[in-house]
Amino acid sequence: MNTTKKESLAAYGFLAPALLLLGLFLVIPALLAIYYAFTDYYLLTPDKRQFVGLANFIEIFKDTIFLQSLKNIVVFVLCVIPVQVGAALGLALLINKQRRGNIFFKVAFFAPVVLSLVVISVLWLYLLNPSEGLINSLLVNIGFDAQPFLSSPKQAMYTIVFVSAWQGAGYQMLIFLAGLQNIPGTVYEAAKIDGVSKWQNFIYITMPLLKPTSILIMITTLIGAFKLIIQPMVMTQGGPMNSTITPVYYIYQTGFSDRLIGYSSAMTVLFGIVIAIVTLIQSKVTKEENI
Amino acid sequence: MSKHGRKIVEYVFLIFLACIFVFPLVWMIVSSMKPEASIYLDMNSIKALLPSYNPSEWFQTYKALFSRFNVLQYVWNSVFYAAIVTIGSIIVNGMAGYAFAKFQFRGKKFLFGLLLVLLIVPAETIIITQFTVAHGIGVLNTRLAVVLPMMASMFFIYLFRNFFMAVPDEIIESVKLDGANQWTIFWRIMLPMSKPAIATVGTLSFIASWNDYLWPLMVLTDTSKFPLQVAITNINTTEPVYTNQVMAILTVSTIPLIIVYIIAQKYILQGLGGSGTGIK
Repeated sequence: MNTTKKESLAAYGFLAPALLLLGLFLVIPALLAIYYAFTDYYLLTPDKRQFVGLANFIEIFKDTIFLQSLKNIVVFVLCVIPVQVGAALGLALLINKQRRGNIFFKVAFFAPVVLSLVVISVLWLYLLNPSEGLINSLLVNIGFDAQPFLSSPKQAMYTIVFVSAWQGAGYQMLIFLAGLQNIPGTVYEAAKIDGVSKWQNFIYITMPLLKPTSILIMITTLIGAFKLIIQPMVMTQGGPMNSTITPVYYIYQTGFSDRLIGYSSAMTVLFGIVIAIVTLIQSKVTKEENI
Repeated sequence: MSKHGRKIVEYVFLIFLACIFVFPLVWMIVSSMKPEASIYLDMNSIKALLPSYNPSEWFQTYKALFSRFNVLQYVWNSVFYAAIVTIGSIIVNGMAGYAFAKFQFRGKKFLFGLLLVLLIVPAETIIITQFTVAHGIGVLNTRLAVVLPMMASMFFIYLFRNFFMAVPDEIIESVKLDGANQWTIFWRIMLPMSKPAIATVGTLSFIASWNDYLWPLMVLTDTSKFPLQVAITNINTTEPVYTNQVMAILTVSTIPLIIVYIIAQKYILQGLGGSGTGIK
């Protein structure tokens, strides 16, 4: 055996575990989903599986719950990005200066990041309890009306937006902070000599120099937000009146609870393509911005 | 004077913001340290954010919780899964990263390109067919099913590859001359040299495994194999539900993460995924 052949063999030996696992739990499931999407596969009767063409896809677009889930996820994405990224940027700017006790504030803002999604979902479920939760007792004590929060179809999704942003902002604050600290102090000193105001400083120096960081953060938040499932699953089970059902949650319900693998797979393919396109745009933008 | 006043306003504002971020955690912990009735009696005063005045009551909830549910088993399960995923992820992704960094082999470019393409497959949307695969290979309701899908990650392979590429070939060649084979080189030279990469991959894998919920919920049916995250929702729906016990299990499941975040804080930021590793 010559050396190159030997080297190839060794290389594949090193690659084997990773390739096997990625094949089993990523490649094969992705291909299966595409295949099943064109069948009427019902988990309990695998042998009766039949090819049904585009029937599942036609059915999806008549499925009011799926359409509702798309609407919900758009609302969630459009709200959570400005709220969470805005909060993260604001917090980073606030603590990006020499101040006694700054480390305390930094730790405080970061604290919710340490909690898992399940923990924050259960915790806020209790805090937001309409009749005996801490938030409503606080609201009533300072003179507001008690709110239904998660039990109202109008408020439930916005409540989930708030809880998600509350949990995630601290992590992105740290990334913004790293970006801010990369801006050389000499830039601001030069501006000071030119008599630039604080506000002008922010608009003309800080923001442009933070652009790559901001874009990166917004796109990762966008992709993460599209896949929302744990918070509605634990807090509202998609309700009330399907106001918090999301595509990934509906894929789970139809595929796992209702065992309609074929139908669920069609949604997987459709929604997976949407996320894949967003991810592609991300890698293109990050390359152009050179981050 | 005005400068002084400004400073005070600034601090008051920061403290107000800090309270918004911290009070839920405080309420979670103190509510686990008082009798059930007190939680609701205290709701309208600052006492809601203080534990019971009687320290002998502080751990009563935990005692009750631990005797009612097999919490130690859940903690052990979570530790076990997270440890296996952490070690497995370092070895599996480290080996693959080494192959891509230091070997010339047929199909290398194609394979690497293929794996980069796989980065855009959103794993969360294919849970159903992942489940059918787990069913097909006969691992449902086993501990193996919980850990296997979490071990290989394109992002971590990429991270190891970049790290190994920076290791000079001369080091490898000189050890080869001494008669060491690739397997020994990987374990004796490469891995020990890559402590920062190991720490990053290890930390992120541990946290991901500890927080994983949906997959173990799907593949496990035996409660004795549940990790803490699944146990939480189980306890939260097992009648009678006591608020202080739920808060206690939330606290128990969070403590290990607090420790991990404190020990490994400098590796956490590297997790901002994908190809964008430009945050320096």
